[in-house]
Amino acid sequence: MMHQINVGEDLRDRNREIAAENREMLRSHGVFSLNIMSAPGAGKTSLLVRSIPMLSEKYRIGVIEGDLQTTRDAERVGALGIDVYQIETGGVCHLDASMVHSALHQLDLDAIDLLLIENVGNLVCPAEFDLGVDARVMLLSITEGDDKPKKYPLMFSESSLLILNKIDLLEMVDFDLEKAKKEATDINSGIEMIELSCRTGEGIEAWTGWIENLISESRKG
Amino acid sequence: MHEVSVMRNLLDIVEATADREGAEKINVIHLRIGEMAGINYESLKFAFEILSKGTRAEGGRLEYEKVDLRVTCAECSHEFSPEELVFRCPECGSGRIDIISGREMEVDYILLDEEGT
Ligand SMILES: Nc1nc2c(ncn2[C@@H]2O[C@H](COP(=O)(O)OP(=O)(O)OP(=O)(O)O)[C@@H](O)[C@H]2O)c(=O)[nH]1
Ligand SMILES: [Mg+2]
Ligand SMILES: [Zn+2]
Repeated sequence: MMHQINVGEDLRDRNREIAAENREMLRSHGVFSLNIMSAPGAGKTSLLVRSIPMLSEKYRIGVIEGDLQTTRDAERVGALGIDVYQIETGGVCHLDASMVHSALHQLDLDAIDLLLIENVGNLVCPAEFDLGVDARVMLLSITEGDDKPKKYPLMFSESSLLILNKIDLLEMVDFDLEKAKKEATDINSGIEMIELSCRTGEGIEAWTGWIENLISESRKG
Repeated sequence: MHEVSVMRNLLDIVEATADREGAEKINVIHLRIGEMAGINYESLKFAFEILSKGTRAEGGRLEYEKVDLRVTCAECSHEFSPEELVFRCPECGSGRIDIISGREMEVDYILLDEEGT
């Protein structure tokens, strides 16, 4: 006999519960955390490598590297003498809260003030899964095209900061900066934006300053 | 690629439910998928065919309904569907908008054959 069972379960429900646990765990250890998302190759690892030396002057930093199946990015960051925990997702195209949860148990959270999480390069799914961090940051490199906000709205709507990376190539590519900014603001009126180049270093201080501001805000309570 | 991970997670929910019910066969899986969940239905169906092989859901039917994007304004509580993905309140102009539906990746119900029936 055929039998109907009402399920009513969203696959993000369980993720949301674990994300709440992560948030509590990070808060109780006084760790400020960021989830850094972008399409593959937009410059997440380059941004970390470029800014960690400056950020290390003020904070004790830990990094979680999400990668499909290589340890390359973790090695690039680890070369800076930073505590890196590598999550190989084994083909899963995003980090979820439970993967980060296991990582949090492996890291010495009392020895960290700032946790930077590099998500798997992908413009769709990372936005669906809250990891329990304080803020989400997305990178859009100007070699990707200025129509990305309307094509991948969720990523833009979930992020507090949009970094427009590879700005050094602006004259070489057909990218309408104002159009991209307007479309991003249409989706998320509160989104902050920084034009940046990991190559020339332009905008890096705005980025580290943005983090410092958020951390001092969060310490005020 | 995205759809494969999503389908794997959805099938976990379905399998757990089928276990609880002592089901022998999963005939129908009915999903609710939000317009803004970034899911391509054709890819999802393809992922289902691959991943359900050798499980109780093999040969079963995957159905879905699309859930429209609905939002409310955090300032004046006006509820609307954004046009052209412009998240701005048409009543008061505020950009503080909360999504209330349209991000679903949900197993709504399933149809099962139960043991001994
Ligand atoms: N010209 C230019 N190239 C850049 C810039 N930032 C990064 N790149 C280059 O872009 C490529 C990808 O950079 P990554 O930092 O590895 O990008 P990613 O987002 O970490 O990539 P995945 O982890 O694979 O998703 C590298 O060849 C970088 O050298 C920039 O500001 N300007
Ligand atoms: Mg990387
Ligand atoms: Zn309003």
